[in-house]
Amino acid sequence: MIAGNSTKSGGPAVRLENLDKYYGTFRALRNVNLSVERGEKIVVCGPSGSGKSTMIRCINRLEQHNGGRITVLGAELNDDVGNIDGIRREVGMVFQHFNLFPHMTVLENCMLAPMIVRKQPRAEAEVRARRYLEKVRIPEQAMKFPGQLSGGQQQRVAIARALCMQPQIMLFDEPTSALDPEMISEVLDVMVTLASEGMTMICVTHEMGFARRVADRVVFMDAGEIVEEAPPEEFFSASRNERTQRFLSQVLGH
Amino acid sequence: MVSLLRNQKVRNALLQVLYVGSLAAMVLACVMIARRNLAAQGITSGFDFLFKSTGWDVNFSLLPATANDPYWWYFLIGIINTLFLGSTGLLMATVVGTIVGLARTSSNELARLLGRTYVDIFRNIPLILQVFFWYAVITHLPTPRAAHQGLGMLLTSRGLYVPVPNVGNLAMVATAVALIAAVVLPVWLGRTARLSRPVGERLGIQVAGAAAALVCAAIILAVGRLPDLPLVDFPALQGLNLRGGLRIPPEFSALAIAIAIYGGSYIAEIVRGGFKSVGKGQMEAAQSLGLSPWRIFTLVRLPLALRAMLPILANQYVWLMKATTMGIAVGFTDFFMIVALTINHSGQTLEAIGILMAGFLAINLSLAAVFNRINRAIALKGNQLRG
Ligand SMILES: Nc1ncnc2c1ncn2[C@@H]1O[C@H](COP(=O)(O)OP(=O)(O)O)[C@@H](O)[C@H]1O
Ligand SMILES: [Mg+2]
Repeated sequence: MIAGNSTKSGGPAVRLENLDKYYGTFRALRNVNLSVERGEKIVVCGPSGSGKSTMIRCINRLEQHNGGRITVLGAELNDDVGNIDGIRREVGMVFQHFNLFPHMTVLENCMLAPMIVRKQPRAEAEVRARRYLEKVRIPEQAMKFPGQLSGGQQQRVAIARALCMQPQIMLFDEPTSALDPEMISEVLDVMVTLASEGMTMICVTHEMGFARRVADRVVFMDAGEIVEEAPPEEFFSASRNERTQRFLSQVLGH
Repeated sequence: MVSLLRNQKVRNALLQVLYVGSLAAMVLACVMIARRNLAAQGITSGFDFLFKSTGWDVNFSLLPATANDPYWWYFLIGIINTLFLGSTGLLMATVVGTIVGLARTSSNELARLLGRTYVDIFRNIPLILQVFFWYAVITHLPTPRAAHQGLGMLLTSRGLYVPVPNVGNLAMVATAVALIAAVVLPVWLGRTARLSRPVGERLGIQVAGAAAALVCAAIILAVGRLPDLPLVDFPALQGLNLRGGLRIPPEFSALAIAIAIYGGSYIAEIVRGGFKSVGKGQMEAAQSLGLSPWRIFTLVRLPLALRAMLPILANQYVWLMKATTMGIAVGFTDFFMIVALTINHSGQTLEAIGILMAGFLAINLSLAAVFNRINRAIALKGNQLRG
C-alpha cells in the first residue's frame, strides 16, 4: 500500500516537518525539519544528548513524536497501526549494540522476519539470508550464535538481518561506537558498499571519514535542533557556525 | 616441615582430612549411642520391618492399600502421594506465578498494583497458616447431599470427587506415561528440529508429537478398559453417600491450593525478574523488523526470559517439593507422614528417617538433574554482551 502510493507520487523518502518530541517535560527535539530524497545518504552528527537517536528512532516509531509530521515513502506516520507496520517493513535499522537475538543462529536471525513478516517460504528466505551474509563478508558464520562472534562480525550480521527484509531505507544509530578500533573499518566498508548501490541511508555517526566519502549532506544537531545542514566539503571546511566549529574541533582535533 | 605447612595445596588437603575425619567421628558416635539406647529398649535395628504388615490404614492412596500391606508398600504409597501432591502443587503454583508475574511487568497500572498486593500478602503469611486456612475453608463446604457439581465432578466437605477411567492398574500407569510424553515430546522435538527447520514447521512437528502421544494414551485406555463397566466412572450420590470416582481428600486440596498460592507468589517474582532481564534492545530490534507484538513476545521475549528464569525456578521447585511435608499438619499421608507413623508403630526411628532422607534426596536430585539438563540444552552460546 505504501510502496504503491509512494512510487507513484515519487516524493521524498523521509520528510520531517516541525518535529517535536518530549520525554516528560524535557524537550528532546525542537521543531526539526529534514527532507531525505530517495537514494540520498545523510550523516547526522552532534554532541551526545543532542537528540540524534531520538530523531531517527521517531522515523520507525521506536519513539512516538509529540508534534509535527513524519512522512515515510509517502505514508504519514500516525497512530494507524497499519501504517506503522508498513513503514517498519520498508525501513531497516542498525543499532549501536547490535541487538541480535542471542538464542538464534546467525542464519535464523536473518530468516526470522522475512519468513514471518514478509511470509517468504523458508527456502527463499535462506537463499536470501546467505546472499546477504556473503555481502557483509561472513557467510562462514551462518550456523554460529551471536555470542560466538566478535563485535564487528555481530554488527555485520545485524546489517544483513535488516537487509534481508529488503528495506528501501536504512537507519544507522552509531553502528561503530561500540566497536574496537580494528573492527570499525570492516563495518564501514559494508556501509560504503551499500551506499554505492543506491540505498537511502540516514546514519548517525562520528566517523567523519565516512561522512566525507559517502554523505550527500551532513546534518549537525545540538540541543534537539538541527543547527546546520550542508554537503560534506562545505560542512568540514567552510562552516561558520560557532557550535559546529566547536564540535568539529573536538571530533577531529585528536 | 614449616615450609610444607605453608604450601597452599598441602594446607587445603590437611583441612579436608580434618573436616571429613571429624564428621565421620561424629556420625559414628551418634550411631553407637543410638544403637545402645535402642538395644536397652529391646528394639532391634535393621530393615526386616519393611516386610511386616503395618496394621494401620492410610487415608489417601493412588495404589490399592490395606492394613495388611507391608511397610515397603506403604513407603511407596507415601512417595507417590508426595510426588502427586508436589507435581499438582508445582504445576498450579507455576500457572499462578506466571499470571501474577506477567501482571507485575504489565504496562497496566492496575494490573501491576494487584500483582504487587498479591505477592506482598501471600509471600508474607507462613505456609502452614495458609494450609490451615484452606483446610478450614474446604471442610466447611456443603455435605455430600448439597454438593457443588460441575464437569462431572462433585465438591463437598469430604473432598473433591473426580471421574476416573475404569481401567486396570497397568493401563493407568501406561496412560500416565503417555500423557507425560505428550508434554515432554514437543519440547524435545522443538530442540532437535531447531537448526534444520524454520520456526513454523517446528511448531507442526511439535503438535504432531503431542498428538501421537495423546493417541497412544487413548489406545491404551481403550485396550486396558475393564470389561462390563462404563469407560469412565462418574461419582454420584447414592443415599447419603457418594459412590464412584476418585476422592481427592480435603487434606490434599488444602495443601495443593496453599502450595499453589504461596509458591505462586515466589514464582511470580522469578517470572518478573526473568522478563525484566530481557534487554530492551532485542525487543526494539524485533519491532524495527516489523514483527507483531505477539510474535515479539513468543519468539524473543519469552524464550529469553525463560532462560533467565529456569535456574532460579529449579531451586524454587526443589524448595516447594520439600514443603509438601506440611502434609502432616492436616493429616495427609505423604511420604513424611508415613515415615512418622512408621516410627510411632514400629519404633524403627533411624531406619525410617534414613529412608525418608534418601527418598527426598532422590526426588530433589532428580528434579535438579532434569533442570540442569534443560538449562544446559538451552543455554545461550558464547559471551553475552548486554546492550
Ligand atoms: N527514554 C528517555 N527518557 C527520558 N529522556 C530521554 C530518553 N531518551 C533520551 N532522553 C534524553 O533526550 C536527549 C536526547 O537523547 P538522544 O536522542 O539519545 O541523544 P543522542 O543520540 O544525540 O546522544 C538526552 O538529553 C537524553 O537524556
Ligand atoms: Mg544516541
